[in-house]
Amino acid sequence: MRWLAVALALSACADAPAARPLKLWHAYRGGEEQAIERAVARFTEETHVAVEVLSVPYDAFSSKLTSAIPHGAGPDVFIFAHERLRQFHRLKVVAPTTQRLERARYLPSTVEALDVDGELYGYPLSLKTLALFVNTALVTDPPETTDQWLSQLEATSDAERARFGLAYAAGDFYLHAPFVFGFGARLFDDAGRASFDTKGMARSLAFVKALQTRGFMPQEVSGALVKSLFNEGRAAMVISGPWFTGEIDPSVRYRITPLPTVSETGLPLTPFLGVEAALVSSRASRPDDAHRLAEFLSRGEATALRVNPGRQIPAELAAYERPEVVGDEAIAAFRRAAERAVPTPNTLEMAKVWEPMKLALRGVLQGEVSPEAAGALAERRYAALNREQPSGRDRPGATSPWPWLVALAGGLVAFAVRQWRRRGPPVPFARRYPEAARGLAYVAPAAVGIAVLIVVPFSVGISLAFFHHEAGDYTFVGLANFVDILTSKGYRVTEPLSFWFTLAVTIAWTFVNVALHLGIGLGLALLLKDPLLKLRAVYRVVLIVPWAVPNYITALMWKGMFHRQFGAINGLLAALGLEPVSWFTHFSTSFAANVITNTWLGFPFMMVVSLGALQSIPQDLYEAAEVDGASKWTQLRRITLPLLKPALLPSVILGCVWTFNMFNIIYLVSGGEPGGATDILVSEAYRWAFQRNEQYGFAAAYSVLIFFVLLGWTRLTRRLTGPEAA
Amino acid sequence: MSGLRLVGIRKSYGDHPVVKGVDLEVASGEFLVMVGPSGCGKTTLLRVIAGLEAVDSGQVLMSGADVTQVPPRDRDVGMVFQSYALYPHMTVRENLAFGLELRKVPRADVDARVAEAAAMLELTNLLERKPKALSGGQRQRVAMGRVIVRRPRLFLFDEPLSNLDTALRVQMRGELARLHRKLGVTMVYVTHDQVEAMTLATRVAVFDKGVLQQVGPPLELYHRPGNAFVAGFLGSPSMNLFDARREGTALVGAGFRLEAAGDYAGDVKLGLRPQDLTVSADGPFTGEVAAVERLGFDGYVFLETAAGPLTARFDGSLPVEVGQTVRVRPNGDVAHVFSADGARALRHPEAPR
Ligand SMILES: Nc1ncnc2c1ncn2[C@@H]1O[C@H](COP(=O)(O)OP(=O)(O)OP(=O)(O)O)[C@@H](O)[C@H]1O
Ligand SMILES: [Mg+2]
Repeated sequence: MRWLAVALALSACADAPAARPLKLWHAYRGGEEQAIERAVARFTEETHVAVEVLSVPYDAFSSKLTSAIPHGAGPDVFIFAHERLRQFHRLKVVAPTTQRLERARYLPSTVEALDVDGELYGYPLSLKTLALFVNTALVTDPPETTDQWLSQLEATSDAERARFGLAYAAGDFYLHAPFVFGFGARLFDDAGRASFDTKGMARSLAFVKALQTRGFMPQEVSGALVKSLFNEGRAAMVISGPWFTGEIDPSVRYRITPLPTVSETGLPLTPFLGVEAALVSSRASRPDDAHRLAEFLSRGEATALRVNPGRQIPAELAAYERPEVVGDEAIAAFRRAAERAVPTPNTLEMAKVWEPMKLALRGVLQGEVSPEAAGALAERRYAALNREQPSGRDRPGATSPWPWLVALAGGLVAFAVRQWRRRGPPVPFARRYPEAARGLAYVAPAAVGIAVLIVVPFSVGISLAFFHHEAGDYTFVGLANFVDILTSKGYRVTEPLSFWFTLAVTIAWTFVNVALHLGIGLGLALLLKDPLLKLRAVYRVVLIVPWAVPNYITALMWKGMFHRQFGAINGLLAALGLEPVSWFTHFSTSFAANVITNTWLGFPFMMVVSLGALQSIPQDLYEAAEVDGASKWTQLRRITLPLLKPALLPSVILGCVWTFNMFNIIYLVSGGEPGGATDILVSEAYRWAFQRNEQYGFAAAYSVLIFFVLLGWTRLTRRLTGPEAA
Repeated sequence: MSGLRLVGIRKSYGDHPVVKGVDLEVASGEFLVMVGPSGCGKTTLLRVIAGLEAVDSGQVLMSGADVTQVPPRDRDVGMVFQSYALYPHMTVRENLAFGLELRKVPRADVDARVAEAAAMLELTNLLERKPKALSGGQRQRVAMGRVIVRRPRLFLFDEPLSNLDTALRVQMRGELARLHRKLGVTMVYVTHDQVEAMTLATRVAVFDKGVLQQVGPPLELYHRPGNAFVAGFLGSPSMNLFDARREGTALVGAGFRLEAAGDYAGDVKLGLRPQDLTVSADGPFTGEVAAVERLGFDGYVFLETAAGPLTARFDGSLPVEVGQTVRVRPNGDVAHVFSADGARALRHPEAPR
């Protein structure tokens, strides 16, 4: 019996390679997901090759791929946008298709997008680019040139009645890029380095700024706002991509056309072209099958499915001949738009353009910077963000981590020895700890847990701070990251990127918040303590609500309320006859918006703590004080506050630490605007790690510094509480 | 120095009347002790005097001035709370000085007065401690010191000694009496303890159910109680009270007939202090011994008689045991007589000299 089972198991193993299905990973949802699943089903029908489809959340997709594939655990085929190709190429996770791809079958620009240093990767599936959506009830003929466009905008805009000729997410560089190219600017110089301070750039910014100042488009536009304005007929035209077709209300009649041509330069407004490709893993178990699957997905029936129900714009030329596509105006329009588009460069340099451009764009749109000066601003931000790898020659001894490791290990040993020696008399270990083995057994599970969950990540984090990361390569740089941070290399100490500036903002942020939390919380607690107050229980519950709602939801709600044109707060100010405030364009108002949001979130906690502490103060102390001659104010100052202190101090210390690291609010409400000035240390560390060229080492160094700041803070508070607590 | 006058004080919590129209005058320098059963409104009245409680009607006058609407801090009274209410975050010195600081007394004066009070209360070497680190008696003295340093025109005490053990209570009682003699201030003092009332008071005020029953020097209250409640409340063990009827020169009740002088008629209440009754071979009362309280050679017996329970003294010459039937006789003319409802005293025996 047993032998039989083993034999069966063995034969199952032997069969496994042939029977194992191909693995396909994607990040699609909805119609696009249905399309890919049906296409894969067709493939299996035709070829009898089984495929296992896995939908991966988009946020985690890239990192999953780059960590799984090198270990042989990844997919055989995966679908990804072409912008990442170079990185995948460097990490050696994709297989080339130069020899296999039949170029003539696809739109030329989509093939061009798959090129990395002369080698092609993947099969182009679909493309994404920008086009002009025109509400035909408001504008009959789509504009050919910008002059024509401007006069149409003039005719359809009426800022008083909140009607606009145009709406698009103007603060996003992806949407501004067409203007950059349309005004003849190049994003990269001949050496391939990003260049911002150009004439074309200034003109493009001036053009967009004028759209806003002349009231042709609203301010601070988000995707959701574009959608609602267009659907309500309050925006005659919208610049957006294929995904927008799914968001348009069926009652709206519209056309899609390529973006107009710039009258001054004669160049079309040229958007970026993004190509989604089926990429074959470099570690695919059966490369031929994998390539067959990838190619299948890019052609014929699979393409048809991609159009419907997927609503994607196909890369395959033959697709446009298919009967169901020929009549589809939207798809035809995007194909025309794609012919004018340029593939988004898949270079590493491209990844470094976004943040400086965002800074410049927002600066111009919010009137902080003139269009002419914005290029230089972006240039400086670019230089600051894209730190060169600190070179070994400047810092002797920094080339190899070994001396450091040896020194560290030596230090640890010395420390351990000192601790050991310092403790008690020299009693033999076995006598001093007779039950050591059993004790260890009890402690082991917790110790392992702590090691895995705390010690390891902590050590990795600290070690990372001594490395420079660039495109997957880590180089040991010694203390260079710390030196650069602490000397604020590349920017002035008073600039938002400087550690010291951010530290000052963080400290101000922490103290203002905690003071407000405490003040408001304590004040309300004093009010609510009064047993004569009617409906006291109701107020208590209501006041705790802000605390009970998840803080990111609250943050997003406040963000909406602070909107320049449509926010409730400016609405209120307007109703009071006050000027609306552009909250996120000035440091003070932006900081205030953050503080208001966080105070809203934070006071209930202090209120609850204060209420509890207040109720533990015996009433007769107040009566004694009253007889002793104390006024209400004196009672608060001399009796209540001193007695609350021991209960409140821990909450205040804790509140300081929480607020110091309150990432959500900063990230979601002000987002660091203007220009990163309201970022605090944690959000800044996050940006260095995930938004600025993946400078993990630099970000880790930030984290280590944050750790030391908080360590210092707890030391200080220990001293403050020490004698009191004793 | 100044006196205190309460005129028609009424106070209720919700629709539950607690103080029902109290008129009381306390002369300057007097030590008035308020007694009464639990819940009769003593604390409430004291708080009314301090100003911690607003009255429903009536007036509080101090040195002749109406202070009914004056907040506590401006009444210039000092109060020792039953719970002491020391400020836990302040040292003894700070506790003592607090009231003076608030009144903006110069620093040097504050120090001098704190030192003086501390010396008087033997707190000098505890001045830097926090209340947490003091014994009950020491806390008690701090609470008193806090009032003393301020030298208010009126001292109020709410059962200040009730938390202390017997020995400490006796000692503190002595200190209080000394303090009163030394400072000569007006004091109003609430207690449950009869001995305290008797030894400390210049006058005692007896309350029941929010009504002032009688006020007077302790011995007068003892010997000439104004009504049956006061008679029963003061004295230990408490006075025997029987329903009786006047028949000629005698008082007749269930199972007894007692010759008694006095000018009254009809149904009355007869009051006899246990101290004035002795177990003997004959006497008007007969009863079965329910309990014996031996204080040594002599003591008290508790009898069940036809008229109700009766307490009397016995001495060693006549042994008594539980279950035995004994007779009791009064030691001369000792009958207190009250109206049948107990509200009025009709006769008191001659006070002994
Ligand atoms: N804050 C209050 N709210 C409602 N009723 C109260 C309040 N304070 C006291 N009382 C009631 O008033 C009555 C008198 O209370 P008070 O404390 O004056 O009695 P007391 O004579 O001091 O009794 P004790 O000898 O037990 O201290 C009691 O029935 C009590 O229940
Ligand atoms: Mg009381």
